[in-house]
Amino acid sequence: MSQTAAVAAPDHSTQAPPVVIARSLSKVYGAGDSAVRALDGVSVEFARGHFTAIMGPSGSGKSTLMHCLAGLDTASSGTVHLGRTDITRLNDRQLTQLRRDRIGFIFQSFNLLPMLTAEQNILLPAQIAKRKVDRGRFERLIDVVGLRERLDHLPSKLSGGQQQRVAVARALLGAPEVVYADEPTGNLDSRSGAGVLSFLRDSARDMGQTIVMVTHDPVAASYADRVIFLRDGRLVDEVHAPTAETVSDRLLKLES
Amino acid sequence: MLRTTLAGLRMHKARLVTTALAIALGVMFVSGTLVFGDTLQAGFSTKMMGSAGDFAAVAVPAEDEDAPADPEAPAPVLPADTLEEVRDLPEVASAGGMTRGDAPLLDKDGRAVGSMPTIGMGLGDGTRFQPDEGGMPEGSGEAALATTVAEATGYGVGDTVTVLDSEGDRHEFTVSGLVDFGVDGELAYRGVVAFDEDTAREMTGAEGYSEIDVTAAEGVTDAAAVSAVEGVTGSDADVETGTAFGERLAKNSGADSQMLTVALMLFALISVFVAAIVIYNTFAILVAQRQREMALLRCVGSARGQVFRSVLTEALVVGLIASALGIAAGLGAGWAGFAFGGEALGADTSQSLVVGVLPIAVGMTVGTVMALGAALLPAWRATRVPPLAALRTSATAQGLEKGIGWARIVIGGVLFLVSGGIVFAATNSTGIGTTGLVLTTVAGLICFVGVVVLSPLLVRAVVAAVSPVMRRVGVASMLAADNSRRSPKRAATAMIALTVGATLITGYAVVNASLKTTMDEMLSEQFPADYMISAPLDEPDAVIPDSAVAELEDSDALGSVVEVHQAYAGSGGATGDMPVSTYIGATLGEDLKNDAVSGSLADVGPGKVAVSQGYAGDLKAGDTLPVATGSGEKEYEIAAVLEEGGTLYGATLSPRDFEQAFPDADGASSVMVTGADGASAKQVRDAVYDAVADAPTVGVDSMAEMKAQFDDVLNIAFLAIAAMLGLAIIIAVFGIANTMALSVLERTRESAMLRALGLARGQLRRMLSIEAVVLCLIGAGVGIVLGIVFGWAAGVSAMPSMVFALPAGQISVFIGVAVAAGLLASVLPGRKAAGQSITGALASE
Repeated sequence: MSQTAAVAAPDHSTQAPPVVIARSLSKVYGAGDSAVRALDGVSVEFARGHFTAIMGPSGSGKSTLMHCLAGLDTASSGTVHLGRTDITRLNDRQLTQLRRDRIGFIFQSFNLLPMLTAEQNILLPAQIAKRKVDRGRFERLIDVVGLRERLDHLPSKLSGGQQQRVAVARALLGAPEVVYADEPTGNLDSRSGAGVLSFLRDSARDMGQTIVMVTHDPVAASYADRVIFLRDGRLVDEVHAPTAETVSDRLLKLES
Repeated sequence: MLRTTLAGLRMHKARLVTTALAIALGVMFVSGTLVFGDTLQAGFSTKMMGSAGDFAAVAVPAEDEDAPADPEAPAPVLPADTLEEVRDLPEVASAGGMTRGDAPLLDKDGRAVGSMPTIGMGLGDGTRFQPDEGGMPEGSGEAALATTVAEATGYGVGDTVTVLDSEGDRHEFTVSGLVDFGVDGELAYRGVVAFDEDTAREMTGAEGYSEIDVTAAEGVTDAAAVSAVEGVTGSDADVETGTAFGERLAKNSGADSQMLTVALMLFALISVFVAAIVIYNTFAILVAQRQREMALLRCVGSARGQVFRSVLTEALVVGLIASALGIAAGLGAGWAGFAFGGEALGADTSQSLVVGVLPIAVGMTVGTVMALGAALLPAWRATRVPPLAALRTSATAQGLEKGIGWARIVIGGVLFLVSGGIVFAATNSTGIGTTGLVLTTVAGLICFVGVVVLSPLLVRAVVAAVSPVMRRVGVASMLAADNSRRSPKRAATAMIALTVGATLITGYAVVNASLKTTMDEMLSEQFPADYMISAPLDEPDAVIPDSAVAELEDSDALGSVVEVHQAYAGSGGATGDMPVSTYIGATLGEDLKNDAVSGSLADVGPGKVAVSQGYAGDLKAGDTLPVATGSGEKEYEIAAVLEEGGTLYGATLSPRDFEQAFPDADGASSVMVTGADGASAKQVRDAVYDAVADAPTVGVDSMAEMKAQFDDVLNIAFLAIAAMLGLAIIIAVFGIANTMALSVLERTRESAMLRALGLARGQLRRMLSIEAVVLCLIGAGVGIVLGIVFGWAAGVSAMPSMVFALPAGQISVFIGVAVAAGLLASVLPGRKAAGQSITGALASE
């Protein structure tokens, strides 16, 4: 493998300014002999309005990278900037504020609060942040994700795909600077998954939404504009305008 | 399988800590009560034995059981020469005699202590009482006081006290010492002033001996000494060995400690019951959370029976360990209880802790059986988990419990109706007394079952009712409102534990407040004066000296002075003596009131009489009442038949009629005095006490003091009961904390998600606090409502004339306690939830 940990390709950074910039990001768990380097000097940028997928074999550090980028986990060294903010310097209260106002999340499962209706779940972040809801954006979003008929349903009455679309709508409603998605289709059948993924791709294209997604599914990754590959905590490769085949090939090469 | 269970226990020990604590607290109460009771009894015994056991024989006058009980007859005594004869016996080394008579001690106000004169006791050399403090009285200038008397009057060793002799003359003594006469009924009730023998005879005029204590000569057995003494006294005396005498006294006093043990045990059972609810809930939640674990066990080949046994084994281990801890704590509690309460109860506090097998056996059994019993249903439910459940993603992220539960509504409704019917019957039938109380208790239990059945719906309904407000307050309270509705069954069980305590404590508070109000009203009705001055109780014909009455009437500080003259007459309609009274200086129906069955009290006048219902028989107002007066039988027209239990009892005549009918009864048996307008309380008090200063045995009761004394008694009872129920409430709070902790555990990923969405740690903690507070408030609220209803019902059915009073102050304190309990219960779960790392929680299953 000739490619080393590298800054993202220059042609992309010229066409849109980066929203998220990580520099020499390292994360070490434990100490001494039992120390594990989950991230080992990763530097990467994510451009505005781009849909990026992070891939890699199990244990490659892709989830850790996302957690550090999102301020859910603290890096051992290196910096992460969201816009002009160095989030590695923020304390817990400031991080909470940051997540409230500037970041959206979509998780694999346990995404919704079971006792809230779909609509209440979508509006929850706005309520937590005491933010005024942009009604127009809300209406547009629920039409696009096709949830208008199910707004007052509890999550237990929704299918997995519908639940995940609620989660997507929730993440996008506040127009955050970046949305992080952790295996958003991991629990879905391929058709529901395709629906969610194309919606994510469209929102990046049409609404200029920056999205970073962790996945191990080459098909899911193929919806992204760009795929970066991690192995053993290092950034080892990247593909632009991926297809499922190219991603699979690269992955196989990594595993070998 | 056992190994799996034990490994599971070790892994989840944190989850079971509060459960174990709940069991341990219940067991602590049970074994602590038993240890306390045993030690108290032993303390009483050593005290009794300590004094009597040293003597070979104790002789007391034989009670003539065939003689009619006549309170006025002098108590039998041993003839005066008996003591010398006993001393002359060769089997006897020494013997001491006691005498007993009346010697009214005056308190610091110059009034006789208590309503019965204090006992004047002559303690000769060699009797069984020894001073606790100071020395035995010697000579004509010294007296010793019973410790109880010293405490009540405030006199101590070296003080000068005034005691009346049998003629009523005052004598002054220096207090030489204090003697503990123990818990012997009459001695404790009336109090004792002890003198040396000669002084005692001079003061009380008592003759003979009331008790002779004998020590045996060397080499003579107690039994031989007893028969020797019996030879002297013959059938005049009951002679027994000192040990037997002490044991008999101890046994009498043991009844007190047994009563106390039974009462404490009642509260201990309540604690155990609450603990059982808490444990049941914990096991139910644990089994629900470990569905996958159970299913996995089934997948790898465990039989249903093995799963069942594994849950029960877990309960058994927890029960055994917690019971052992509880017993250890119970020993401590019993010791502390005895150390603090023993002296107040009059036991010998040097008694070391008595630890029998029974408290340990009972404690172990109660704790273990309770844990096993509470785990039965959850264990059975665990066996219903299909092996396939192991393959489902998660059992814990299921939706809300749904369904109205018509069966619940119907069963709950029927139970409420039945309970309501019983309460209606109990409160509307008169004169059923204790039956009414039993009926109310049964109704309360039925109603409680109804509440248990309906509680999940209740929780849901209440939360639904308050959630619009909670949603508006903020995101933490909004989430709390929604969380409270998630598993109403679980919330309801946690809540019920608190409801038990809240119901009992509120019920008692209502009874207490109602009793106070009722008593206040009764006092002001029956005692329509500031002071009641009454002739000494022990002499039926005694009157208040005319000079005292005259002085009262002349005083400027006093307003109305009502003289009560009383005599007894045979009545045609009723058996026995009928008291006949007149009230000089009072307007009947205005100054003195009494509800009438027929007629009107105000109509009493010359020739017209008011009579209480019991003596009226079938007679009504307008009929004629024959009265056997001191000057022959006379007939009066009945002006009013009065209700029983009021101010006036027997027949009430006009002053003129009374004077004619009973010319001999010209002294006042009591006088009711009201302060003059503008006179200060102190002026009134001084006027009253000055007037009766020369008649120390005349009783003076102040309305205000009686009220205060009564309130004191009720307040102390309330505090004691509240403290006993407090433990049940603490256990319930443990239960709520446990339920919260388990919910937090179950919602780990959800909490992480909320944090990722921007919920601050503080908000997460607040959310849990509000959840716990809501739960506690519902639990306490239901308990308060039940307590008010059944407190009222119990009071009214036992005492139809009860005036209901709502102890609003106390109830608001209970509500405050519920809020505090909720906050307290959520501290640890909140810390745990907020301290969790987001990424760790997201990764965990």
